[in-house]
Amino acid sequence: MDKLILRILLRFIRIFIKKDVDFERLKIIAETKVLMDRRRTPSNFKQKQRKEMKNPLLFTLIMYSFIGLFVAAIILNGIPLPVSMIIVHSYLLFMMAMTLVTDFSSVLLDTTDNQIILPKPVNSRTLFLARVVHILVYLLQFTIALMICPVAATFLQYGLLTGTVTLITLPFTVAFAVFLTYLLYALILRFANEQKIKDIISYFQIFMTVFFAAGFQIFPRMIDLKAISFQFKLHWYSYLLEPVWMSVTTEAFHDLNFNSVHLIMIACAFVVPVLLIFFMIRFLAPSFSKKLGALNNSSEADKGSFTAVTKQKKDLAERFSSMACGTQTERVGFEKTWKVTARDKNFKIQFYPSLAYLLVLVFVFVFKNPQSFIETWNGLSSTKSFLAFVYLPIFSISACLSIVPFNDNFTAAWIYQSAPITDPGQVISGMLKALLIKFFIPVYVIFFGFALYIWGVPVADDFIFGFFNNILIFLLMANFSDHYFPFSQQPNIKMQTGKFVRMIIQLVIVGILIGAHYAALFISWLPAALIPFSAAGCYFLQRRIQRLPWLKISI
Amino acid sequence: MSLIQIRGLKKQYGGKYVLQGINMSIDAGQVVGYIGPNGAGKSTTIKIIAGITDEFEGDVSVFGMDVRKNALDIKQRIGYIPEQAALYDVLTPIEYLRFIGKLYGLADEVIGTKSWELLRLFELADKAGNRMNTYSKGMKQKVLLISGMMHNPEIIFLDEPLSGLDANAVILVKEILFQLKQSGKTIFYSSHIMDVVEKISDRIVIIDKGTVIADGSFESLQTQAHKGTLENIFTSLTGGDQQNSSTAKEFIDVLKN
Repeated sequence: MDKLILRILLRFIRIFIKKDVDFERLKIIAETKVLMDRRRTPSNFKQKQRKEMKNPLLFTLIMYSFIGLFVAAIILNGIPLPVSMIIVHSYLLFMMAMTLVTDFSSVLLDTTDNQIILPKPVNSRTLFLARVVHILVYLLQFTIALMICPVAATFLQYGLLTGTVTLITLPFTVAFAVFLTYLLYALILRFANEQKIKDIISYFQIFMTVFFAAGFQIFPRMIDLKAISFQFKLHWYSYLLEPVWMSVTTEAFHDLNFNSVHLIMIACAFVVPVLLIFFMIRFLAPSFSKKLGALNNSSEADKGSFTAVTKQKKDLAERFSSMACGTQTERVGFEKTWKVTARDKNFKIQFYPSLAYLLVLVFVFVFKNPQSFIETWNGLSSTKSFLAFVYLPIFSISACLSIVPFNDNFTAAWIYQSAPITDPGQVISGMLKALLIKFFIPVYVIFFGFALYIWGVPVADDFIFGFFNNILIFLLMANFSDHYFPFSQQPNIKMQTGKFVRMIIQLVIVGILIGAHYAALFISWLPAALIPFSAAGCYFLQRRIQRLPWLKISI
Repeated sequence: MSLIQIRGLKKQYGGKYVLQGINMSIDAGQVVGYIGPNGAGKSTTIKIIAGITDEFEGDVSVFGMDVRKNALDIKQRIGYIPEQAALYDVLTPIEYLRFIGKLYGLADEVIGTKSWELLRLFELADKAGNRMNTYSKGMKQKVLLISGMMHNPEIIFLDEPLSGLDANAVILVKEILFQLKQSGKTIFYSSHIMDVVEKISDRIVIIDKGTVIADGSFESLQTQAHKGTLENIFTSLTGGDQQNSSTAKEFIDVLKN
């Protein structure tokens, strides 16, 4: 699809071309950039595909059009036109802005151009136009993917005129999204340096991943919207919301009603985005690329002059490791894991979504009845749902076990082999302790607090019993899987490939533990009495890992 | 008339001058080695002469043309090979070279034959269909060398051309530079590898803190500084001589603690 759009655009441009634009060079730049877009791995699906895909972009686009189906379903549900149009435009605005934020550096403002294209004999107008063509191709294909289903639904539901008006308003919403993205970056750049920007982008990517994961759970539940009646009223702030302009514009043409309110909205819809884009190209973009350029250079110039940091205070990792770990070797594993998990972008992108997915799991397990959230909420204290809160944390947190051995910088793990380590298992047990203390305990405490609020003190013994059971499960999983040093393996190559039998055994044991806990609930003193056994199990498993010999560790 | 003419070149980043008035003129057919400590302004100078940066003070002309006004004509006739493998690494080398070739306005057939031939000479032909994100730094550097020279430029600027190359490739590149010089090309390059610079340069320019501190043939620098190798000349001129040996001594002392 991208190539087709590109060909049409190029043919179009050829007609209007000016003397100082070199069409052949424009064409090759735009073609190359479109080709590279195809190959760039989309960050939001990174964790799912390990192998290099032939056309990851196409995969993303298909995913997007699939989500569009849900929006189309909402339109076909027969809710009032203004509301459905607000949903359509908000959805487009949101998705477009999110996509642009994450792809910003490769689409809207590519600084590598300066290094690669600038030394070549290409004049600035040609390069500028080539960039515009590339951005248009990018925007068009995403707009088509996002909107193909909703627009089709609009045509079906409201007829030709309304459908056409919707089609016309879409590019204006996209333009608005581009402006918003630019504005966001301009703001970030004002207050932060380039490293911060990279961090912020990775948080956006994490957010996107969570959004997709949660969206697939929650959207289908939302389709049944008939029950809720939609009232649409114009408030003063409606004049500030872009989707409202578009929605009212569409409504005006649908009802053929052009009173003053509608006319103001129509004016907003068609004039404001154009003005904003003009403002952006004229004022924002030039100062922007200058600033980014300066950022690159200043980092070069400042290299020599960083201030020496005198470190006296122990940081958090060191303080915890001295409490939790017995030996120096164990502390090494603990502190390394603690710090790298906080700093490695790939770990964060892969793990944080599964942490956030916890909320989705709660939603799915506890509030599974679609009828009423409030009813479930009120009836909650009489159920035994708190068991879900006890055992769900470990399911999402144990995901880190399969992520933590991998790192782009895996070669740095030579140090384990060259250093005189006699108990390599200690490094691994340190790693496990760090993961538990950093990720499991805080989540568990929050869940415990929530459960105390709903069910009161009687669940305390269950949570203490569950605490050890969770750790027991975590350590069991660690015992069952291959043992790797933290961050010592090359990503993509050895990623835990389904050891099926092992996984089944693991699941069975986990099932038995949770079943036992459930059964124990019927005898009020039993959970409390079982705590020592569970704790002893934890201790034993922990010792086992600490004593792992070199032979058992995969390098 | 010299090929490259630099008069009072100054450049500042955020109020700090990284180049503080450089004067230099380079004749056709010269091989100029440009050396200096990190942050001395080597890359910046090369970028200005190659027409990439146009914000500077002073006058720079190449082929008798002002780099500010005729940047495009100059770029067409020079080759620039940047530091740190800057290329689009999701492309295969064939695709990348086609891209670069077309930017220089070469015809499709010329690009096709040239890229295959050149890749074959650099022993990359069997990997020519792979994307470059699987390449090592040295392999990328080779592709970069090809991309900077495939339009047969008259002047070639190289910024650390040998970094990341293996021993064989270093010898090959050295030989290529030598042959280029024989065929009358002008070469201007920066490098850290002193003995290479010593062997293939007609002229060595040493820059420190934004000013030229030595300029001449290796022999003339030798008589000037009364030192044997370029490395010795370099450290004595940039003031690293005394400091390096005392730092090394301190290093050993700390280890003993």
